[in-house]
Amino acid sequence: MKANRQSTTSLQTVITRLVFGAVVAASLVTGSIGGLVRAGASPVSNPGPWFAQAVVAHAFLMVCSFLGTVIGIERAVAVKKPWAFVAPAASGLAGLAMLAGHVGAAAWLALLAAGVFVAVNILVVSRQRAAHTVLLLIAASAWCVGCAFYALGTLPDALLPLWFAFLVITIAAERLEMTRLMKRRRHAAALLYAALTTLLLGAATSGLWRWGGVVYGAGLLGLALWLFSFDIARRTISAQALSRYMAICLLLGYGWLALAGIAWAATAIGFAARDAALHALALGFVFSMIFGHAPVILPAVARVKLHFSLVFYLPLLLLHSSLLIRLLLAQQSRDFLRIGAWLNTASIALFAACMAGSALAWRFKHSSTPSHHGHAHRH
Amino acid sequence: MNNKNASKNTVQPAFPYAGPEEWRLPITQALQRVIDPEVAMTIVDVGLVYGISFEHGRLHALVTMTSAACPVTDLILEEVDAELERVVPAGTEIDVELVWDPPWTTDRMSPRAKAFMGW
Repeated sequence: MKANRQSTTSLQTVITRLVFGAVVAASLVTGSIGGLVRAGASPVSNPGPWFAQAVVAHAFLMVCSFLGTVIGIERAVAVKKPWAFVAPAASGLAGLAMLAGHVGAAAWLALLAAGVFVAVNILVVSRQRAAHTVLLLIAASAWCVGCAFYALGTLPDALLPLWFAFLVITIAAERLEMTRLMKRRRHAAALLYAALTTLLLGAATSGLWRWGGVVYGAGLLGLALWLFSFDIARRTISAQALSRYMAICLLLGYGWLALAGIAWAATAIGFAARDAALHALALGFVFSMIFGHAPVILPAVARVKLHFSLVFYLPLLLLHSSLLIRLLLAQQSRDFLRIGAWLNTASIALFAACMAGSALAWRFKHSSTPSHHGHAHRH
Repeated sequence: MNNKNASKNTVQPAFPYAGPEEWRLPITQALQRVIDPEVAMTIVDVGLVYGISFEHGRLHALVTMTSAACPVTDLILEEVDAELERVVPAGTEIDVELVWDPPWTTDRMSPRAKAFMGW
């Protein structure tokens, strides 16, 4: 396969990137507003008709529309097939349809997106038959089954476990791919498969059986312990600059994943830990992964170069400290839930500003001297 | 061992090379400047460079990735292209080719990379 790289970008490509960027941003902003309202905040003084949908469909907007689209774009870029972009296009449209009040259309568009995404991952497996590519396919399938339940209106209690399984197993697969660089330790693979099987079993039974949530929580906790034990982050934390920052994001995320597992199981047996279960997982784990991987993924999918600096640590610090406020102090007063949610949202906004600023910093640093990166490549 | 050490510009026979001997060092050093930030190592240390041929004004680089689902593939290939372009004579045709066969294995990692990863 020849590398197909171009130094100039067509207008069509620029427009496509802008449209995808706008749709992803709309999902994230409206999903975050919905989350704030659920936490007791009033972020918008004069809401439009989309507002109620943003609150009701907070999980749909964040998982299917925002992350489904981002992950769909990432995978489409990797497989280099135009049809693969149907998945993120459909998941992005699903979010817009949801905000417009077309709930049924949104649900079927999300199912279309997840179905195409499964096909994309079958292509990945056909190109490289390995444990981590098979796990990516299993993650996509969990998303697809969850979307099918949503479209058909069945087993609503299984929805969130399946949608989170999509995110968690996708991340686990990507980390497993990295652990290939470390020496194989006996039973490491078996332990990972045991944790993920427990997770899937918990997801599959959550809609039918009360103890399904306990099994699901055990799977999350098991995965956290596995990642702490075998991920390369324990090695790359001794590196410098961006590599160390990424490792810190990962290790902090694994801590929240463990807490989410315990809280998920506690919720299933009647403790009031639902917010801790959902948001230790979604914000503590998943957003830590986003903060860690975006500086590498963004240049690949959005074609912007970023200048790393210690400023990257500010949104990370805010995210984790605000989660501590939200999840640990909310038992004392609901005000902490609201304040924590505001600060969670602020950390995401600060992160977006940090990425934009680092892109500008890179341009500024490289504008004064002619860069070899700017040359037309010779092939 | 840290990232800086992992990317230190020393020459090892890490990949097959066919071409004028005086170009082996600058080409290897150019490839050692391409770092995969996720693993904090150069692509030479990870063993992603399968071979270089530099003959008749044409430089052909064979490069692989550890995963077919890797979204940063193009970025790494562009870096390879750009770093090679900095060192070879003007007018050289550079062709960076992505290959999947044979699949990458840990046997391709340098001793330095293995030490960094705790082997």
